[in-house]
Amino acid sequence: MDSAIQEQSICQKCVMPEVKPRIWLNEERICNLCVDHANKPPLQPLLESDFIKTLDKHRGKHRYDCLVMCSGGKDSTAALYFMKKRYNLNPLAFMFDHGFETEEAINNVKRAVAKLGVDFVFYKTEHMKEMFKNIVKSKSKAIICHPCSIWYMDLAFDMAEKHDAPIIIAGWTKGQSEKQEVMSKCGCNVHAAEYADMAKETNRFLEEHTEKTGKYRDFPRTMEELLAKSKKKKHKAIVLSPHWFLPYGPEEYVKIIKEEVGWEYTKNSYPSKTTNCNMNFVSAYNAMKFFGYTHYHVEMSKLIREGVITREQALEDLKMQFSDELLNDVLSKIDCTVDDLRK
Amino acid sequence: MYILGISCFYHDASACLIKDGVVVAAAQEERFNRDKYSPVFPIQSINYCLQHEGITSYDLDHVTFYEKMYLKFERTIVSHIEGFPFTYKNFLDTMPLWLKDRLVVPLYIKDELTFNKKIWFVKHHLSHAASSYFLSPFNQAAILTVDGVGEYASATYGFAHENKIEIKKEISYPHSLGLLYSIVTAYLGFRVFSGEGKVMALAEFGTPCYIKEFNELIDVREDGSFRINLDYFSFNRGEKMHNKKFIKLLGEERPEDAPIAQRHKDIAASLQKVTEDVVLKMARHAYRETKSPNLCLAGGVFLNVTANSRILNETPFKNVFIQPAAGDAGSAIGSALYLYHSILNNEKRTTMINSALGPHYNLSQIEIILKNKRLKYTKTSTSEELTKKVAQFLADGKVVAWFQGRMEFGPRALGNRSILADPRSPTMKDWLNLTIKHREDFRPFGASILRERVSEFFEFDHDSPYMLYVAHFQKKYQGAFPAITHINGTSRIQTVRREENHRYYELISEFSKLTDVPMLLNTSLNDTEPIVCTPLSAIDLFLKTKIDYLAIEDFIVEK
Repeated sequence: MDSAIQEQSICQKCVMPEVKPRIWLNEERICNLCVDHANKPPLQPLLESDFIKTLDKHRGKHRYDCLVMCSGGKDSTAALYFMKKRYNLNPLAFMFDHGFETEEAINNVKRAVAKLGVDFVFYKTEHMKEMFKNIVKSKSKAIICHPCSIWYMDLAFDMAEKHDAPIIIAGWTKGQSEKQEVMSKCGCNVHAAEYADMAKETNRFLEEHTEKTGKYRDFPRTMEELLAKSKKKKHKAIVLSPHWFLPYGPEEYVKIIKEEVGWEYTKNSYPSKTTNCNMNFVSAYNAMKFFGYTHYHVEMSKLIREGVITREQALEDLKMQFSDELLNDVLSKIDCTVDDLRK
Repeated sequence: MYILGISCFYHDASACLIKDGVVVAAAQEERFNRDKYSPVFPIQSINYCLQHEGITSYDLDHVTFYEKMYLKFERTIVSHIEGFPFTYKNFLDTMPLWLKDRLVVPLYIKDELTFNKKIWFVKHHLSHAASSYFLSPFNQAAILTVDGVGEYASATYGFAHENKIEIKKEISYPHSLGLLYSIVTAYLGFRVFSGEGKVMALAEFGTPCYIKEFNELIDVREDGSFRINLDYFSFNRGEKMHNKKFIKLLGEERPEDAPIAQRHKDIAASLQKVTEDVVLKMARHAYRETKSPNLCLAGGVFLNVTANSRILNETPFKNVFIQPAAGDAGSAIGSALYLYHSILNNEKRTTMINSALGPHYNLSQIEIILKNKRLKYTKTSTSEELTKKVAQFLADGKVVAWFQGRMEFGPRALGNRSILADPRSPTMKDWLNLTIKHREDFRPFGASILRERVSEFFEFDHDSPYMLYVAHFQKKYQGAFPAITHINGTSRIQTVRREENHRYYELISEFSKLTDVPMLLNTSLNDTEPIVCTPLSAIDLFLKTKIDYLAIEDFIVEK
């Protein structure tokens, strides 16, 4: 599949394509997101001492000090490692498999929890399959990862309540969440130019389809709705990522988790060098088809602006090099084919 | 054993981390928050120190603070009561600072660091003394500390032997040489903390013809002790520390933007002469009392390179040691080492080899920025290739920003965050002052010279690794290096040994091979802001000024 964006329509500083009217390039072929970023005063760095202060407010007062959302990827595995080893906490590792997680990712988490000696909840479910199928079959522009993220976050809040963990730890990196603006609010700013259209389509799908399907009747329509719901819980968990507070980049912590907990890269994932689930191939395919970019383009653009990766590396990692055979293999689990994506 | 040392709430806030008696990290807060001489709680420096060592506050065994806040508060209150009602406004202005920050230091530290073990408070001048002695190579030494004011003391002398430091005598506030220097600095239209060095430079353009007037202001005795004539000052009584009588004695003060007249230069020269005379007398007295061949100096006054040089040359001491952060920043280290050696009685000592105690950045971090900014750069494959190329640029008259290894601790750039140039150039000083440093044209630049060749060029044959001495050129070189020569024919010098800074030593050596001049002009890598800390700051400075090349680790960046 060749969904590569033409180089001349990509911002010369980051990897965002020109998608008018929300994202546009100026005469120097720099996107409005980069221009806005350059004009903003630099953010004060988040300090590890502040992170520790938050951790210590809750340390030892609950059954678990925190719940770590584990995907088997490098960032969440490092987050689990830091919680146990660097901050000496009693974390509960939590992983779900909606039927599309890879064996490699699951094994990464299993090895890590065994090595670190932490309790582990593995939640396997078919709950989301019908929704994924609906998105594909209905030709919705909803980004498959979005309702899945909302569901996963909802599940994490439930698990934190059930297992009495006051803090939810995510493996979000500096590119994956607005650091200071959305502290403890988990996730991205859906009103930002780069996310607004995608979020609108996801919201529209959820509005139209969840009412029709009994099992999804209570499914939160947006991340904001989910957060409002979580605030009403008796047990209020906050969400944080250690990566916002630490100066170490993947270069440093991948080495640590490889050595300490036997973490390994997966063979095939999108973007390269990630550990995303197999449904993510379908999600990314649809995102490119409908919007011209994926949320990984947004995240990597932020990482470029933060000085974490180079633009050329991001362009390389974002190349879509997966085949119809792979897509068909994933789609067969929800009784769909590549033709359903292309019709 | 890990000890975190902290200094803050006045100026030059800093933090350091000591591991088993060795300083493993230290930095000033200004380098991170970009506020020059920043006084705030040095939380970014602390985070840096801990992360550099890969530890968190849970791993700390002790935390030290560089002065006794309650004692200082007592002095402040007494001073305000004595001056009431004239001190009332100042009292209202300063009390919130005390109540918000200074008096709650223990709570501050416990809260910010979630640290629940004991916090140790070491007297201000004892912290100064320890910062010098415990980093020196000496097993016993006389110690002299002089600054503005600590709790009560403004100057002390003492004696250190093995692990113990004994302060023998002290001079108390308001009698303070450091304060006098700062008051005259403000009177001459310069800013306190940043202006003292300018006054020192300006002094060389004047003649000390106001000595009679200064004798009215300060009564100096043969042992170096002194009393300030309080009739001429208004401590805590208003925005200015000098009064009408002071103006009657020395004339109208100079507004900040007014031209500098000969009178101002002469007053600066007189102040400098008095300062030198006082510290010389103090040092001679310390020698008479201790008979030690070794002297350790600390306190902000010993950033005065001219005074230091006279002590080195004109007293009986054979060896003099000053650590690079002689002011309050260095006291963070002093308080921590005082706890480690004198209180906890650990004997193992480590001599300071260089001041590179700050952050460093790896090649991939730097290359990401260079690539994303689309800069024209080359990566050298060996250190030799880098130093040869940069030496050639310098010999060709180019200005090079030199960003290498760990950032220096203290006010001087010593070959890790430096701007370098050819000292022979007759136009370089003005070019740098005007287009890159944006500072007064009378201010001279320092030089870095290979230690083994220093006596060939200067009337000087000592170690000066932290650029804290000046020296006259040898007769045959007078006038040969205009870019680094002050009006009085001296230059502020840093001697460089290979073991202190390998790459910098190699660079100067390569320059010497091309020019037969084993020295470079060396000034700090900044304009009017604090010295740069990160690669991004260095690149931004490089792009906005007329620096020709940036040598950042193995990369050479050009415009």
